[in-house]
Amino acid sequence: MTDSGAVQVCDLRMSYGAKQVLRGVDFEVRYGEVFCLLGPNGAGKTTTLEILEGFRRPTGGTVRVLGLDPEAQAAKLRERAGMVLQECGFPRQARVAELINLWRTYYPNPRPLDDLLKVVELAEARDTQVRKLSVGQRRRLDFALALAGDPDLIFLDEPTTGFDPEARRRCWAAIENLRGLGKTVLLTTHYLDEAERLADRIAILRAGRIELAGTTQEVAALAGLATRISFTTPTALRRGRIPLPDGIDLAVCGSESVCHSGHPGMTLRLLLDWALEHRLGDLDGLAVTAPSLEDTYLQLTGTTAEPSFSQANGDRR
Amino acid sequence: MTRSVRLAMGQALIEQRSFWRSAEYALFTFVFPLMILLLIGAANVGAVLPGTHIKNTTVFVPGILAFGVIVAAYVNLGSKVAVLRHDGVLKRIRTTPLPSAAYLGGLLVSTVATAILLAAGTGVVGWLAFGALPRPGGVLVLAAGLVLGIVCFASLGLAISSVITSAESAGPVTYASFLPIAIISGVFDPTFGGLPAWLSHLVDLFPVKSLAQVLQNAYAVRPFPAWDLVNLGLWTAAGAVFAVWRFRWHS
Repeated sequence: MTDSGAVQVCDLRMSYGAKQVLRGVDFEVRYGEVFCLLGPNGAGKTTTLEILEGFRRPTGGTVRVLGLDPEAQAAKLRERAGMVLQECGFPRQARVAELINLWRTYYPNPRPLDDLLKVVELAEARDTQVRKLSVGQRRRLDFALALAGDPDLIFLDEPTTGFDPEARRRCWAAIENLRGLGKTVLLTTHYLDEAERLADRIAILRAGRIELAGTTQEVAALAGLATRISFTTPTALRRGRIPLPDGIDLAVCGSESVCHSGHPGMTLRLLLDWALEHRLGDLDGLAVTAPSLEDTYLQLTGTTAEPSFSQANGDRR
Repeated sequence: MTRSVRLAMGQALIEQRSFWRSAEYALFTFVFPLMILLLIGAANVGAVLPGTHIKNTTVFVPGILAFGVIVAAYVNLGSKVAVLRHDGVLKRIRTTPLPSAAYLGGLLVSTVATAILLAAGTGVVGWLAFGALPRPGGVLVLAAGLVLGIVCFASLGLAISSVITSAESAGPVTYASFLPIAIISGVFDPTFGGLPAWLSHLVDLFPVKSLAQVLQNAYAVRPFPAWDLVNLGLWTAAGAVFAVWRFRWHS
């Protein structure tokens, strides 16, 4: 294990009684990146996070967070890491600015109040009582409290679960702001679009194991998913007047012709040579589509759209 | 150490602010005991305990004083901690470097402040309305009784908070667990009596009657409440042990 990562997880195991929740999880979060732990409900995301936050002692394996042992050095860790738990209440009568200021007294080097209000876009709500905030505003106040001590690292456990599209977008904007501040962010989610939109790197956790880790593109490539190349079927081809290209597994599906390739550059070259040879000119409607995280995820988890996933579909690009 | 103390005071301050901000809560805490004081007082003006020269007022005013201490320390702290736990506020506190002792210390300081204010209010109203004052030399017993009573019922409040299973039941559970005992302890009625012997002995075991008797000793000469002081100490210890044993940061 090197000392370079903000979070280092090595062969992490966790059992509750006979039930194995984590079966040897490995990943590393680098300083300054937004890292997303993606997986379906019950995959072990929250358990992993709770171990990293020092709330649970793992059954086996080692974890280091900012170079610290989260359980043994919990107090030290909490001065440098902000934590947004899945669900957490606020004192009922507190006002926004008052609460943030109270939190600031807990830390040796707090961030200025106005700064915090700006990052989470709560400046207009500073004197509002917490119980009068909307769900989205409350979540952003969660962020502000987690940021009060100017932490190097922020844990976010399913930050937008149950939010409407507008609240999610504002929440995402707040997370983008964290990235702008140079913070390391480790977030869990079961929303693909959230991971795709926010994360520099992703690890897919399923049934207590990391299936894949890397950037969105790397993850797709590692999953062995091919790039999709398609174009409008030329009339000559449809009528069978010219042969199919050699060395390409081209499928003619009515008006569209499609092939999948693990080496899209070479395939394209072959395809364009073939088009030139048969005087097809530029291929109409030529489209090269990299495999999406969604394709990867669905192939890995072996599901068609999950309920939790389809809920979030509202604002997919 | 100084940092913890400073943090605890900051916490206590914001607790007090929140308490007074929620007007109906603060009002209920203060008005309820004072209203009972005035109502019962009206029915007892000028009366003496049967067969004695002890004025009724010097018995029920300290009785209501005990009632106020229990409301402020036991009911308020117990239900507050239960609600904080069920709302997930305690869980959130755990994500910060705030030492647990500083947080709980702050809650306790705020509770003590409320209880002392309420006791002062009750004492003043009892004096102005009914002329009840501690006997000469009773002030020390009064102070000791108040301190011991607040500590005892705060520890019992922390203990009961751990057995409350929902935020909604926090108020009912805390009230229902002491009001019946308060009634048969004669807190509201200086002439209360006629309990079967076994029940009367049972009531003697609870801290409610003990606290009332210690405070009554401060107002009118009665036998020195040695057993009551010991009893309050025992309940404080039992409450504290249970509270520490069962304390959880999350529901």
